[in-house]
Amino acid sequence: MTKYWRSLDELNAPVAFRKNEVRLEVDANRATMKKAASSSRRDFLKTLGFSVASAAVVASCKRPVDKAIPYLVKPEEVTPGVANYYASSYFEGNEYCSVLVKVRDGRPIKIEGNDLSSISQRGTSARVQASILDLYDDARFKTPLKRGEPTTWDEIDSYISQKLSQLNNENKKVVLLSSTIISPSAKKVIGDFQQRFPNVEWVQYDAVSATGILKASELSFGKAFVPDYRFEKAKVIVSFGADFLGTWLSNVEYTKAYSSGRRVMKKSDEMNRHYQFESGMSLTGSNADVRVPIKPSEEKTILTALYYQLLQAGGEFTVAAPASPVDLKGLVEDLLENKGRSLVVSGSNDVEIQLIVNAVNHLLGNYGTTIRTEKTLNTHQGIDADFERVIAGLKDKSIAGILCWGVNPVYNHPKGSDLKQLIAGAELSVSFSDRKDETTAACHWVCPEAHYLEAWNDAEPKSGTFSLAQPTISKLFDSRQVQESLLKWAGVEAPNYYEYLRKNWTENMSGLQRKYTDGRIFWNEVLQKGVFEPGIEFKTLAYSENGLAGALSLKQDAASGWEVVLYQSMALKDGFAGNNPWLQELPDPIAKISWDNFAAVPVKWAEENGVQNESVITVNGVELPVFIQPGQAPGTISVALGYGREVAGKVGDGVGKNMYPFTSIENGAQKFWVSGAQVSVTDKTYELALSQTHHSMEGRPIVRETNFDEWQLDPAAGNELKAEHDEHSVSLYPGPEFKGHHWGMAVDLSSCIGCGNCAIACQAENNIQVIGKEQVRNRRIMHWIRVDRYFSNDAENPEVYHQPVMCQHCDNAPCENVCPVSATPHSDEGLNQMAYNRCVGTKYCVNNCPYKVRRFNWFKYVGNDEFDYASNSDLGRMVLNPDVTVRSRGVVEKCSFCVQRIQEKKTEARVAGRKIEDGEIQPACVQSCPGNALVFGDLNDPNSKISNYFKNERNYHLLEELHTLPSVGYLTKVRNKKA
Amino acid sequence: MRRYFFGKMCLKKIPIIIFLLVSYFIIPNHVYAAPETVITEGHSHNEIKRGERFFKGLLPFKRDYNACVSCHNLTPTDTLNWNPSAMDIAMKYADQDFGSFQSAVMEPSGIKMQASHVNFTLKEEDLKAVKSYLDNLSETGLSPAKPTYNNLILFLFLGLLLTWALVELIFLHHIKWKVVPIVIFMGAFGWQVRMIVTDAIKLGRQESYAPDQPIKFSHKVHAGENGIDCMYCHTTAEQSKSAGIPATNLCMNCHVLIREGSNSGKFEISKVVEANEKGQSIEWTRIHNLPDHVYFSHAIHVGSGKLDCTQCHGQVQEMDIMQQHSDLSMGWCVNCHRETKVDFGNNGYYEHFVELHGQIKSGAIDSVTAADVGANDCMRCHY
Repeated sequence: MTKYWRSLDELNAPVAFRKNEVRLEVDANRATMKKAASSSRRDFLKTLGFSVASAAVVASCKRPVDKAIPYLVKPEEVTPGVANYYASSYFEGNEYCSVLVKVRDGRPIKIEGNDLSSISQRGTSARVQASILDLYDDARFKTPLKRGEPTTWDEIDSYISQKLSQLNNENKKVVLLSSTIISPSAKKVIGDFQQRFPNVEWVQYDAVSATGILKASELSFGKAFVPDYRFEKAKVIVSFGADFLGTWLSNVEYTKAYSSGRRVMKKSDEMNRHYQFESGMSLTGSNADVRVPIKPSEEKTILTALYYQLLQAGGEFTVAAPASPVDLKGLVEDLLENKGRSLVVSGSNDVEIQLIVNAVNHLLGNYGTTIRTEKTLNTHQGIDADFERVIAGLKDKSIAGILCWGVNPVYNHPKGSDLKQLIAGAELSVSFSDRKDETTAACHWVCPEAHYLEAWNDAEPKSGTFSLAQPTISKLFDSRQVQESLLKWAGVEAPNYYEYLRKNWTENMSGLQRKYTDGRIFWNEVLQKGVFEPGIEFKTLAYSENGLAGALSLKQDAASGWEVVLYQSMALKDGFAGNNPWLQELPDPIAKISWDNFAAVPVKWAEENGVQNESVITVNGVELPVFIQPGQAPGTISVALGYGREVAGKVGDGVGKNMYPFTSIENGAQKFWVSGAQVSVTDKTYELALSQTHHSMEGRPIVRETNFDEWQLDPAAGNELKAEHDEHSVSLYPGPEFKGHHWGMAVDLSSCIGCGNCAIACQAENNIQVIGKEQVRNRRIMHWIRVDRYFSNDAENPEVYHQPVMCQHCDNAPCENVCPVSATPHSDEGLNQMAYNRCVGTKYCVNNCPYKVRRFNWFKYVGNDEFDYASNSDLGRMVLNPDVTVRSRGVVEKCSFCVQRIQEKKTEARVAGRKIEDGEIQPACVQSCPGNALVFGDLNDPNSKISNYFKNERNYHLLEELHTLPSVGYLTKVRNKKA
Repeated sequence: MRRYFFGKMCLKKIPIIIFLLVSYFIIPNHVYAAPETVITEGHSHNEIKRGERFFKGLLPFKRDYNACVSCHNLTPTDTLNWNPSAMDIAMKYADQDFGSFQSAVMEPSGIKMQASHVNFTLKEEDLKAVKSYLDNLSETGLSPAKPTYNNLILFLFLGLLLTWALVELIFLHHIKWKVVPIVIFMGAFGWQVRMIVTDAIKLGRQESYAPDQPIKFSHKVHAGENGIDCMYCHTTAEQSKSAGIPATNLCMNCHVLIREGSNSGKFEISKVVEANEKGQSIEWTRIHNLPDHVYFSHAIHVGSGKLDCTQCHGQVQEMDIMQQHSDLSMGWCVNCHRETKVDFGNNGYYEHFVELHGQIKSGAIDSVTAADVGANDCMRCHY
């Protein structure tokens, strides 16, 4: 049997590991005891005094008087107590997502996926889910600022418009530096602005750009664009370091497509095969069927070898291929078998590598099938070289002014500290940032823009695919949309971007469709749906081998020493949302570390050098804590970008180390790896918030897996234990009975990629509190749904399993019958209920739960200065869902299957006098799962989707042998390794 | 020796110290504080005092009409009085000049006022004094009603009693029969427990709670005499968890025309009109308060269950002052769920309950209660 393990300690010394687990648990408990219960005589007196006082209070206490304040004029669409949903568009950190915003009594409280979008297809990522909290961020600017002091818009407008005219007259250049802009109307505004001030140059700068792809396609196709990748059409997917499920380009879209190609429910279903060549273990790599650890310096050699081998196999070329450090035979076979149905991508920013990738895809006939050149992905348009020119211009003073819009180069550019001086030294420096950041701190003027949930906008994330963004709350602070600021300075008296946008849509965009002749009806229609996809035909582009020969000529780099790979972390991506406590506390999908970045080092090297987790090493002089990463390519170290923010706010300041200074600009593109790094071991240690070994399941067969070919022969392959357990399932007690509904959930382990979107969606929906690094270390993370990660086989290159675990809602629940106060009984609908106001905090249930899904509130996490995160201010608490109780200290909580959503839909159905449709009720985790891995429904309905999942041969339950009868089923993990 | 005496003296003084401490806490602080007044627009203390006396009818002079206070009461609790209270008037005329006040008093408009403000022969100086008194009132507010501490005093007294009984029983032995202190101890302790238990049960419950509202709105007039449907104002009772408190502009649907009430005259309705014109919401005092951990939905009970409003809210159409009819306790909810039959045959939603339908058909049961379809599950209301 395959051996599954969660950490190297467990693999090597299981007994010692388990002992250590227990010790850590005890230590954590002791630490709390010491903190909380060091009682003394004075405490005794205090308690005594308190009891007397409380007795007195009981004898004469009154309830506070509440006010009920109705509307003056009730808006027609608002029903107090009922949520409204508004379609909008998320575009931050180069990630696009069409979303629905849940607004309760005027407050946006939750982001949901929009199923009408062909791009995000109802999926979201953890970052999109967490963006709602950014709206209520304490670090947001309350007013415009002049050199750090509050000022008025009038002052700003008069100064800046005059200054701009002056610079224009003096013919001095001003740069409008923005991140990629996908809004057609915003581009039009910029055009208007440039028309008024011809000295203004617009430059797009992305923290992690796609310069390599853009430049390569410029050579190969004569146009700089990111093509439209169709992962759902690919039978063989080869990725060189591209984390396309996590952070690369349009990851939600790719996740939807990828997992749709891996869903095997019935005999005829096919499955794609995924090869991943990478250095560190990325989320995408952890899902691969074949993962090959390579050094970043080897990537080009391997791709070149692959290209030549493909040529040779086609008989077109006879020159011997260069030697590849890894065996490519199987891959070449697969690719040749699937010509036109394969897809090769690379995450590299090197133009030459991308040119070879283009050549390989062309050779395989993928253009026109799995890669479309007629549609372009517009979310990454920044070219690194452009920004280098801006730096040069600032240096030689040929650029006199800089307007920063959605960019933070002081933080995320390798020469950030120089830039700080340059920006501060410019004649005019303006930041439009809505919250604190490093670049804004250097700017003289801060003209805070509105958060995207307070603003109007449109977007064209992909050519011919449009969407709108609309405000869901009136502006919380004295902010103004950048578009309005620009129009104002360009001389428009009272700019109104809404009118501007609507005019653009009713006049120009409505011409793209024929359904509505009236522009206003068209506008309303699009605003309601959020997306507009008119199906415009674009021309395909012809491939040419331009520049390929140069790219293929291998210049042998003298690659020596350590190679450090810098990647975007799943939670923080490029670091723009550093002050978001939900994201900071989301464990890394592989390392399961939150609140820090770390150096992921190879297993063998760590063993040889006596380095352990939490040891500190120095990499080029920077001290980093170590995490020993199974699957890390030998000779490489991976460190996440996005950490080490200095000016982010109370949550993000000083968390981790900033790795952007490690990047460099080479051939006009930012390079995200370093060769020849100096690594030395220190004897220091640094505590990491590792949640990876939490909640031990004691090595029982939790994940069941099979391979695609075995599954084809027997759908129950890998799931033999299920039949065995079913056979032995005998009970003295009568079976549970559910008269109406019996709610259940299924998790398809093959579709789950482990991204953590569910954890954040759940956090937003259920008012789950952030507890901070120290408490995470004490194993008290509050997430109701956690994604467990298991490794198997070879520690040098293991297989990885992701398994979301939430309350299993056992029909025979061990937690229920140990509760001394009946705070957690079973409902008529199969829910394992939790009545907080009844709970007295014995934690018996926590201890008796075999799945370790129950969470105890060790402290009061809301309104407590010790936990100074979102819930410690009135602003941050605005995000709370009014339908879910905010738990206080001393009670146990856990997944409720989003009972508030079940109740809401049931009420709707009851009032309408109809049955509930299958799929109508969607818990937060299910609603926005980008992999469609989660299914929820009524098990009493034999035709429901969930019933079909439960009937599937792949379905099993966790720890069936305990006869807990969980209402959550898991479908075996199927991989498609080459037989 | 001296030390011993000193100790003894202290011991003797203990009851006095306790008495002083207790009385310090019991006697409200404002007794010691000098009354605060805000002298506005040159009003002297004397004038305010005179105005107050006149208002209260304490000045000796001949008249054939009642003192102001006999209709416009000063204590805020008695809202059965339809006339505007002294505070109401004070607030309304605080920002207006004497002329408008005078004309309001002396030239009554509206049936109610015309009937009561008859034969007024008030001197201007008296009226001015009243106005200055009212102006002052609008600044200082009424002195708060004295809180009653009877329960607390009783509780502490019982505590002292049982302590004494215990000390007597163990140390002093002044009383021959031990049974006496034992009985006293048991009695005092038992009474204390009883106080705590009854108060603890009542804690958070507000049966018959009928607070003062900013407007003397009468459900009896609206729902009873005029027969307006509940759902005309509480529009969202069928769709939302909240029944909805009518927006001010909804009031104006009728009150755009109706400006004078048969009970309250023009004064109360003018508040609604004013709120609407000024764009200020009316801050009602919330009567039905459920604890935060309870989820209650009107939609389920009214929209689907078709319950009559009066079942929980009582005979609202007879209430001049709205009050909480039921205690809204969990036991009350649960009992009703056990007894109330749901519309099992006609509501399409219940088709989910196949087995229960079968039992009805076979005659095993004749009806289905709310509890049968899970209304008493914890997570129906607590999540």
